[in-house]
Amino acid sequence: MSLLAAMRKLWNSIAPRTHSDVEEEFRSTLDAYQEDLIRQGLPEEEAHRKARIDLGRPATQNETYRDAIGLRLFDELGGDIRYGLRALCRNPGFAAVAVLSLALGIAATTAMFSLIYAVLLHPFPYAGADRIMNPVMIDDRYPDEFSYFDLSKAQLDEVRIAAPVDSVLGFNGSHMEITGGGLPEDIYCAYLTENAGTFFGVRALLGRSIEPSDAENGGRSVAVLNYRFWQRHFSGDRHVIGQTLEMNHTPYTIVGVMPRSFAFNDIAGVGDVYLPFSLMRPVANGPSIAYLPWIKLRPHVSLAAANAALEPIVLEGKKQYPESSPDHRHLALQPIIVPYQQDLGRTLTLLLAGVVLLLIIGCANCSILMLARGRTRQHELAIRTAIGASRWRIVRQLLVEALVISCTGTVLGVAASYWLARLPLLLSPDSFPAESVIRINASILAFSVALALLCGILFGLAPALRLSRNDPARALPGRQAGVAAAPARHRWSVLITAQVALTLLLMATAGTAIRGFLRLTQMPLGYDPANVMQIGISLHVQNPAEWSRIQSREARAAYIEQIRQKIASVPRVSTVAVGIGATPPDADVQSSFIIDGTGDGEQPQARAVLVDQRYFAALRIPVLQGRIWNADENSRGDFIAVVNRAFAKRYLSSSHAVGRQLRIPGLTPHNRYQAVSAQSTTWRQIIGVVGDARNNGVDQLVVPAIYIPYTALIPAYAQFLVRTEGDPLTCLHSIRAAIASVASDQQISNSASAFNGTFTLSEAIERDAQYSRQRLFSILFGVFSAMALALALVGIFSVVAYSVAQRTTEFGVRLALGAPRAHVLWIAARIALVSAAAGIVIGLAFDSFLGAVLAHWMQNAFAAGSLFAAAALLAVSALIACLLPARQAVAVPPAEALRCE
Amino acid sequence: MTKPVELPQGTLEMLILKAVSLGPLHGYGILMRIQQISGERLEILQGSFYTAIYRLERRGWINGEWGESENNRRARFYSLTAAGKRELKTETAKWIDMAAVVAGILNKKADEI
Repeated sequence: MSLLAAMRKLWNSIAPRTHSDVEEEFRSTLDAYQEDLIRQGLPEEEAHRKARIDLGRPATQNETYRDAIGLRLFDELGGDIRYGLRALCRNPGFAAVAVLSLALGIAATTAMFSLIYAVLLHPFPYAGADRIMNPVMIDDRYPDEFSYFDLSKAQLDEVRIAAPVDSVLGFNGSHMEITGGGLPEDIYCAYLTENAGTFFGVRALLGRSIEPSDAENGGRSVAVLNYRFWQRHFSGDRHVIGQTLEMNHTPYTIVGVMPRSFAFNDIAGVGDVYLPFSLMRPVANGPSIAYLPWIKLRPHVSLAAANAALEPIVLEGKKQYPESSPDHRHLALQPIIVPYQQDLGRTLTLLLAGVVLLLIIGCANCSILMLARGRTRQHELAIRTAIGASRWRIVRQLLVEALVISCTGTVLGVAASYWLARLPLLLSPDSFPAESVIRINASILAFSVALALLCGILFGLAPALRLSRNDPARALPGRQAGVAAAPARHRWSVLITAQVALTLLLMATAGTAIRGFLRLTQMPLGYDPANVMQIGISLHVQNPAEWSRIQSREARAAYIEQIRQKIASVPRVSTVAVGIGATPPDADVQSSFIIDGTGDGEQPQARAVLVDQRYFAALRIPVLQGRIWNADENSRGDFIAVVNRAFAKRYLSSSHAVGRQLRIPGLTPHNRYQAVSAQSTTWRQIIGVVGDARNNGVDQLVVPAIYIPYTALIPAYAQFLVRTEGDPLTCLHSIRAAIASVASDQQISNSASAFNGTFTLSEAIERDAQYSRQRLFSILFGVFSAMALALALVGIFSVVAYSVAQRTTEFGVRLALGAPRAHVLWIAARIALVSAAAGIVIGLAFDSFLGAVLAHWMQNAFAAGSLFAAAALLAVSALIACLLPARQAVAVPPAEALRCE
Repeated sequence: MTKPVELPQGTLEMLILKAVSLGPLHGYGILMRIQQISGERLEILQGSFYTAIYRLERRGWINGEWGESENNRRARFYSLTAAGKRELKTETAKWIDMAAVVAGILNKKADEI
């Protein structure tokens, strides 16, 4: 049997017979029977009739056939859908409003779900991403804090063969500069052990990823590019494979480009270029090479078992640091998603709650519209009941119409969500994983379909049950339309009340978010971020020859000062200061210090901030008492300090701060790269007090800080704070050239990382976690509540409009009998007004109850002021939405209204 | 003429299978044959007749094909499929078994119980 024939046979066995086929067969039987009857002696006409009485009519046979083979339900549903579509087309206004109200809610919900899916459920493109663990060390004394650690080669090999482990990736990174081109460019290289290709299981976009053969002969000089780097540096050139990339004067052959979703990794720094780990060289005679591990567990291994198995291997190496008291430490394998869940889970949950509210309001709107329209359809439904439709049949019909609306709304909503889901990423780019790519996929489509069905049933069921319960005897003679007794109104009012209450909740939340954000933007920062840019440089640790030249503290300070002067000579640059990790709104780590006159026992904490004397002028931080150190004192580095006001207030009686002594025992080198002054930890005299500038995040109170000349402790990097006239970024190119004129291969950092990047201080504020979160909340909740308000108003408007249309005659009679117009207006708008007012009252009560919960979630006080403002706005708009259509009621000339009868 | 018998539910399909098992028949032919074999004692509910045929065909127990009837009319002829043959066999066995048990009980005399 040929394939075609087989398929035809299969089709015949599945496909129902055609209408004509069934009818023709039945007709032939009918004819045969009729002939038999005639043969038995019946007259032809009588035989014709009897045959049809006995066997049935050919016209209905197809229905019998489809019923017999179980297709009837489909036929009826098909009919319902066609009828529903026709009904919608006849009422385009109703259809458009219903579909749009739902589409808004579904778009927002789907967008939020795709965001949650992309960010929290499946942010990583890696194979078996849920089994990939980031091992962290937890100190029992501070269980909320954890630290990452590295492993030696031997430890890595031990971990690799441990029972619960599937595979291990070791990685590390370093900054390099692209050479051989024009100006040097700093990039971040991630070294990956050569099993990276199989560990990640991500197909390269072009070429290949790192593979085991790259380890041969001490590592092959090959490079795999990150997508963004490829776009930025090679403009997405597809012929890049096989070309040479020169970094630190060494050529590398480009063998692959990773896809956009691959951005390993957010925590250690996203690599611009991925290199085989075998190429990793100990940095400037540094200690042995360290591997940062990612561990992929075997399936079905519990975290506890894996922790227990790996802890001895990991802790063994840590004994070399006796001060870190290993007794307190233990290993915890942390799924790689955890850092994001902690930061984003709450934000997204709150946003999801917001969109669900919006969706419920949209559904309520559809219910209201269907109920309102149902009154005009009572006649039609009564006829259907009268000619034998069961209640179930009518409920089904109405439900199918609701589903037609919800499905149309879903199609529109899913299309809109595609763009909407990008909004949070645009507004708060740094709080989301770099690798999360939002796209419509099967799970999201399944979610939307489920949502459509749920909504259809949610908003369709109540009206369907309500409308199907009508008595044809009462409804049919209808149309006499006197004073309409309308029991359905009761249900509208409940829906409107609920809708208004929920809208108020959203509006109050939005008000709180916006207030919080405004408060944040208006808060005095204590410094002036406008037109200031941070430029980070890394000193040459990669190149031993150059490094030896600037290894001494004096040489390094001179080198930094030389660069500083060059930058200062660039046109339009007004002030250049040096800071080390001193860029607000965050500033360097806590250190403990000792003040004269107090015992050694208690060690108060303050930020120790390393800057030069121009720092305060560049940031426009005012000097309140005393003075700032001069250039000589700056190059010496010791014996002096300046404190901020918070410090003086907390630790010294403010008036007598200047002249006191303090010392910072922790001001010693922590690694070989730091150059330290002779007496960095000795007593320092406080010579001045400066104003408070934010140093603990935009929204947090300023913490006590001690400013010290940066030459006291210089690491292998530094930052310049450059104040310019006009937009600092436009000077960047000249500044680059100026720096290159000091040392041709001194690159500046291209990354935007707060640690040592290049960015403007206004950007730094926008990137601040709290700032971007608050902005995200205020914009999104603003949008949500505007949508909710629009929906609620449409609901109120349509209820009043429908009821006015229904009761035209009644109003005509009332007016003709001399009712005052104000009274008629009141009657027309009464129910909607009362329900809206009830909604506002319930909403107010509900909000004050929820206030505490919300305040906790939004980390922002729930303000009564914004609640009442929202309530007032809602009340006014609801009043307008009621009165606009109600005016129609009094606009009817009585004579015309009566003629309608 | 003896009294007509009413069919218990579900037995019509069995009878159709039996009628068709003797050779391909068109719809009216099946009706005639059942009446003829039963000695004109069965009044088949005409309305349900085609419903039964459609259902049997859908289940694949009988297979319909267009052909010429005895008086040169186009008619749809049904024949038993292999599955239909098996179905008829098991149903027949079941029916005879059941009828025997029921008859056995009903025929018992009072003193035999």
